[in-house]
Amino acid sequence: MFFLAPFLIYMGIVFFIPVGLILFTGFVSEDTGEFTFEYFQAFFTQGLYLRVLWTTIEVSFMGALIVLLCGYPIAYYLAKQPPKKRMYLSLFVLLPFYTSILVKSFAFVVILGHSGAVNWFLRFFLGSEFAVQLLYNRIGVMFGIVHDMLPFIVFPILVNLLAQNPALHRAAEIMGASRTRIFWQITFPLSLPGIFAGLLLVVVRVMGQFVTPSLLGGRTDIMMANLVDFHVNDVLDWNMAAVISILLAVMAGVFLVALARLRGAQIFGAET
Amino acid sequence: MADVNQRRVETLGGQPPARATVWAAWFMFFFLIAPSLIIIPMSFGDLNELYFPPRSLSLFLYREYFFESVWMETTFQSFKVAILSTLAGMFLGATAAYGIVRATFRGKKMLGALLLSPLFVPNIVIALGLYIYFARMGLQGTTFCLVLGHTLFVTPFVMVVVMAALRGVDPNLEAAAKTMGAGRIYTFRRVTLPLLRPAMVTGGLFAFLMSFDELVISFFLSGFGTQTLPVKMYDSIVLEISPVLSAISVLLTVLAFFVCVIITIFYNPDRRTRLRLARVAATDTEPLEK
Repeated sequence: MFFLAPFLIYMGIVFFIPVGLILFTGFVSEDTGEFTFEYFQAFFTQGLYLRVLWTTIEVSFMGALIVLLCGYPIAYYLAKQPPKKRMYLSLFVLLPFYTSILVKSFAFVVILGHSGAVNWFLRFFLGSEFAVQLLYNRIGVMFGIVHDMLPFIVFPILVNLLAQNPALHRAAEIMGASRTRIFWQITFPLSLPGIFAGLLLVVVRVMGQFVTPSLLGGRTDIMMANLVDFHVNDVLDWNMAAVISILLAVMAGVFLVALARLRGAQIFGAET
Repeated sequence: MADVNQRRVETLGGQPPARATVWAAWFMFFFLIAPSLIIIPMSFGDLNELYFPPRSLSLFLYREYFFESVWMETTFQSFKVAILSTLAGMFLGATAAYGIVRATFRGKKMLGALLLSPLFVPNIVIALGLYIYFARMGLQGTTFCLVLGHTLFVTPFVMVVVMAALRGVDPNLEAAAKTMGAGRIYTFRRVTLPLLRPAMVTGGLFAFLMSFDELVISFFLSGFGTQTLPVKMYDSIVLEISPVLSAISVLLTVLAFFVCVIITIFYNPDRRTRLRLARVAATDTEPLEK
């Protein structure tokens, strides 16, 4: 207990009080000083807010599914490599993980933009009139999110694949099962906990995304975090900002509880 | 060691992966590093506009970054905030991790989850809470607030790394020191902490990078004159997309690359760290008297 004191006291001052303040701002009326649901009512009766809420959910789930489709082959391929080679290859996944999200977003602006790399290639092959709008819409957001979230799905699945008993695969092989059959009947079903852990982790992290929708998305791709920013820095409506962040935290909390219930859920390679 | 019978598999069994899987994996590898690669030619561009491929090569953009006072000031501010919050985070994180792992009371799991909870709350929520809090106290926009916010953000990362390493440290070593009359702070400082050196380096580097790159908390808490580099970069992407960003991006990627490589070598929570820890424990003959 003695060693826990410094951080506990620190959290009390810098975390619990601010969180309490958010709750206070969201639930206590500014005029009467009494408990109220008026700000929540305001949120749920306005079409704009509901649309943003829906966008947030849609982007989180769509993003998580695409990330899974892109990430599973990586995890599977890495799992098949000998340890030394795997360590070098995993740098491909780790480097983007350590790179600033602003660097990545800027790079995607350069890659996807009108005079960017992708359109340069298209023009090169298809003629000078050709250009696709890949930026400032849902496609741009998805590129950013998939790139940003891949490490979070690759590592939970990789950890799971490496923990599978090799005797199962050996047995199936000896009995003459094909590679495809072994994958769908043994490897994949056994990796489901890793998949779910990764998916939940990605959904939680995408929900709070601020940079990607703001820099790579268009007006209709605004998410909850951007709405908080808008209310604090543009309209100066702290009550609504508090309501939005309470909703965001509750949504994240629901998925985190699910994540905690999954056995073998690992975050950053360490059990928490 | 506690887990002698824990099975560790080196490689997933069965045949090598199908050719389509290999192609898919390498395609994704390419996608993952494409952003880091594309900014390199861009950073040697000449003109003050974004165009791929750049028409002529020069160091113009790097000069622009190093001699433009705004960029240098924000970079300096980022270093200041990151170093201060990393030091604070290492102290708070290491003590908290030790407290949790060596705790014997009931509910230590719950307490551990509580202490790690800033990891799981979306950053925007932390940012808003601190914004309202500091605004009410009239401290808004100061470097002090930025450091407080960043410390809260990085401490759980240090905790996670140190907790993982602590599970590999034999509690008997501490018990031995205590039997011979060392106090608990002395034991922690002279016995446990030296054994945790690799984890402290890893956790510290990670915390530094996390703080250096953090945008959302800084965006809400910084004010005029206390902006960090990521906040300035964000503003620049929103407002004008200055080509200088590609030079900065290359420099930041190089920083990330070095931190990534060092951590990957240092932080192997399984065998290697244990071996190193065992060797340190065996050769560290520094006498224990004060």
